Amino acid sequence: MSAEAAAAHDHHHHHAPRQEDYPVDPHYGQATGGKMGMWVFLLSDALTFAGFLLAYAIARGGSPQWIPDGLPVLGINFTACLTFLLICSSVTMVLAFQAASEKNRQETLKYLGLTILGGALFLCGQYKEYFGLELLGGIVANINADWGAWVAEGLTDEGLFFGTLGGNEYTAYGSTFYMITAFHGMHVFTGVTYLTVIFIRTYMGKYDDGNTNHIEICGLFWHFVDLIWILVFTFVYLIPE
Amino acid sequence: MAHDHRKLYWQIFVMLFVLTVLEVGIVYIPGIGKGLLISALVLLALVKASLVGLFYMHLSSETTELKLTVAIPMMIPMFYALVLIIEASWRMLRNVV
Repeated sequence: MSAEAAAAHDHHHHHAPRQEDYPVDPHYGQATGGKMGMWVFLLSDALTFAGFLLAYAIARGGSPQWIPDGLPVLGINFTACLTFLLICSSVTMVLAFQAASEKNRQETLKYLGLTILGGALFLCGQYKEYFGLELLGGIVANINADWGAWVAEGLTDEGLFFGTLGGNEYTAYGSTFYMITAFHGMHVFTGVTYLTVIFIRTYMGKYDDGNTNHIEICGLFWHFVDLIWILVFTFVYLIPE
Repeated sequence: MAHDHRKLYWQIFVMLFVLTVLEVGIVYIPGIGKGLLISALVLLALVKASLVGLFYMHLSSETTELKLTVAIPMMIPMFYALVLIIEASWRMLRNVV
């Protein structure tokens, strides 16, 4: 087999080009097409979030009383736990990438699994924050009535709604809160789905050759979701009235 | 190819954790000035976001061109935010004087 034929044969059996297969671009080095595509998408997505956060700042800055009387103040402690959860799932994501670059399928699966778990728990936490977990609250109430009541109750139970949902009066406070956090939550859901696909592909041995391109691109999306949450946590939760 | 970056990844994790504890902690400082609190919170958030971007999203090891491709568009909303802050400060001062 000639060298060219061997190269063509080799190329045919590679499902995805490796980062090191790419010619060195004078501007972007060996960043793959997929990586560049993800970065461009993330930039557009970041500007969408920036639009939401700036609109939020204008609405909040221009209102004489941001939180109407009788509506709940957003809890910081529980949300700090959710923030910690996303930070944990970010470190497990890079550890999965590290393991994949060492062609260690078992370790990659372990860390991808933990990353998915972190994202799924975040979504559960967000569901609790919005709607409360009545069933779990009922069980916890057997241990401690106050804790049970806290678990069972969400912001909607306390009268915070999006728009005029629930027949309530419209508040910019409620609507911007759900708009921004739910848009982020949809990203977490997308990330968990994306990670699950990558988990299955890793399980199938698609990345056993040490080609980390797909895992790194998925990681870019996942870390971006964490990065946005850092800003949402500060602007929506931490900055007091 | 397969350099071991585990130590760096864990160091960033510890920094993100400590900065988060700091963020939540300063909110509870009694009598802290609102301007100081907001400035500190925004600064901490920007540091955390930069750590994630530079080390978890590997921007630190990308080319200067890719770094700028990401950084320059992000400066546009930050510039807009700055304009809003200046405008709000001007309104406040005008009402005082």
